[in-house]
Amino acid sequence: MKTIDYIRMAFRNIWRSKLRSALTIFAVVIGATSVTIMLTLVFSIKGFFTQQFEANGTLQQVAVSPQSGVSDYNSISNNGGGQGNCGAGTCTKLTDALVTKITALPHVVGVARATSSLPFAAIVFSGKPYTLQGVAAYDANGIITNNIVAGRDINATDQSGVVTVPSIYADKWGYKNNYKALVGQQIELETQGFYSGVGATIQKPNTSGPNNPPSPSNQQAPTYIKATVVGISSNGGGGGGGGQSNAVRVPLPWARLMEEQQMYQQTPGSQGGQNCGSRGQCQPAQPQFTLVVTNNLAQNGYDALTVKVDSATNANGVASSIRKLGVGAASAQSFIKSQLAIFNVIGLVLGGIGGIALAVAAVGVVNTMVMAILERTREIGVMRAVGAKRSTVSRLFTIEASVLGFLGGVIGLLIGYVLILIANPIINKQLKLNSIHTSNIINLPIWLILSVIGVTTLIGMLAGLYPARRAAKLDPVEALHYE
Amino acid sequence: MADVEAVIQLKNVTKTYHLGGETLNALDNVNLTIQPGDFVAITGPSGSGKSTLANIIGGLDKPTSGNVIVDGSDLAELHDAKLSAYRNKHIGFVFQSFNLQATNTALENVSLPLVFQRMGSKARKARGVEVLQAVGLGDRIKFKPTQLSGGQRQRVAIARALAIKPSIILADEPTGNLDSARGQEIIKLLHDLNKQGITLIIITHDLSIARQAGRIVEIRDGKLVERRA
Repeated sequence: MKTIDYIRMAFRNIWRSKLRSALTIFAVVIGATSVTIMLTLVFSIKGFFTQQFEANGTLQQVAVSPQSGVSDYNSISNNGGGQGNCGAGTCTKLTDALVTKITALPHVVGVARATSSLPFAAIVFSGKPYTLQGVAAYDANGIITNNIVAGRDINATDQSGVVTVPSIYADKWGYKNNYKALVGQQIELETQGFYSGVGATIQKPNTSGPNNPPSPSNQQAPTYIKATVVGISSNGGGGGGGGQSNAVRVPLPWARLMEEQQMYQQTPGSQGGQNCGSRGQCQPAQPQFTLVVTNNLAQNGYDALTVKVDSATNANGVASSIRKLGVGAASAQSFIKSQLAIFNVIGLVLGGIGGIALAVAAVGVVNTMVMAILERTREIGVMRAVGAKRSTVSRLFTIEASVLGFLGGVIGLLIGYVLILIANPIINKQLKLNSIHTSNIINLPIWLILSVIGVTTLIGMLAGLYPARRAAKLDPVEALHYE
Repeated sequence: MADVEAVIQLKNVTKTYHLGGETLNALDNVNLTIQPGDFVAITGPSGSGKSTLANIIGGLDKPTSGNVIVDGSDLAELHDAKLSAYRNKHIGFVFQSFNLQATNTALENVSLPLVFQRMGSKARKARGVEVLQAVGLGDRIKFKPTQLSGGQRQRVAIARALAIKPSIILADEPTGNLDSARGQEIIKLLHDLNKQGITLIIITHDLSIARQAGRIVEIRDGKLVERRA
């Protein structure tokens, strides 16, 4: 019997019992649709994440933290290292000297220094203060990306007086649909009470008494530092090793000045003596104060470093070399690997759920085929009488069951595809709202199409094996007289 | 018409059934030779073993012991594939209840054995039309069995048997479901085919039909008790 005749006969037999076949196929359709949707979602989101990491160069980056031995990218990236974030571990300051050492390592293209410990409490726009989600500064050398949606990013020539603000502020300030209009506007950064960096007015201590406290103190009035908005960044963009994804960005040279700590310190030896007048009248000597400037960045080091490597494949090696310098370092690859592993597990679980649906469908196929054999026993007898071999009968029923699975798979895929067509515009809208410039992230890959059809056909075939065997084993004489 | 000149020889053929604790000899040491072109009627009462004999000759069943030699091959020794090929190439079955597929047209029913010969669809159709015309149903090829009379259905069944150009036609009570007039028409049709050289074996308990055969073989309790020319 020719293959085409098997297929024709299978389709004809399925068509003969339309309702029963349709119900059986429906069960397969449910399984195929769930498997298609679940796996498509998992693999599309997985692909989207990978694509995003590749697009912003994260795969070529190594995040460096002061915490010795730390190799978890996620914790470094989220905590941004931090000058005082060592916990029980040992810390090595992320100093310029260390940056020089790292830059000298093989495969290192560049290093971006970042700080996010700037002492600001609020951002003031049109006289109204708004809670800050952080102020970050990092080298404008292109290693850490800041996704600008309007205006421009901080560049290497910017020294001070300019900021980029995340769109979350622009939205609050009424520029939701017109970010460009915010570019060039003035904002003020309200400092915390103890601020004594650039722009702060440091009161010279009153010299009338011997025990005046040195300034500044926490009770000091905040300083308002004016800045011009040069660009609007998308939410969640930028930050990188700075660890502040929704932070206001300022130029690093300016941040260095903000990190300065100015305080008056009593000049040694200026108190305890006596000033005696010409008449022999002595008064206690007035203490002398000197303005001392220290720099937190120079003293404590940067919060984090982001190292750019020449190729993603060298990122792990570079991270390992950096860790040998006594700091924590991790490549994004290890993070992505763990993230993708999570997706694989989710895929397996969801695929398993779809698999259960397919297993139930397989039972339906077995039932349908057993019923078909009972109904067609006489027909099988006739086929055997006119020359069909046992193997021919067996193959005929196996193919019929496979066709049930195949049709279920194809219909399931079509339904899945339609659902994807509906879902993509909705997801696109959400992505656009979050300023993510990508669309149609849910894709039905060819391999999944072929796999779903293959698996459902295979399930149909396997489910058909037992009924087919029963059909083939029928005694033709008994089958011909079956009532 | 026949592509093989089949001589059928049954040597000491016994067929035993085990029903519960009882052993029943459906055929008991049967010896029979049928020459090519013979018209043989196998008669006997119900349960005598005549259908068993026909099934063994037709390769649908195998004897418990003995040999069934057809054209030099012992059917008792053949495995399923060869036995199926034997049925497909040499045997045309005609059943009392027609055994037509109700959802298929007359042409599709007739073409069924040709499907198992791996014949192409065009050739099958041509052959199907040819045999349906031969049995007088050239204008009913697209009719389904339910749209045909009893006599016409049996003609379709005969056409199906003829489609493979058989050397032997085995007709088991071919007129059992027909009135006498339609029955006679069917017997005449089968007789005409026999005259064209096809060996015709009719299983019947109707003596009027048996008398039209060249040979009558009577079976009683599994034994060949009488042979008449």
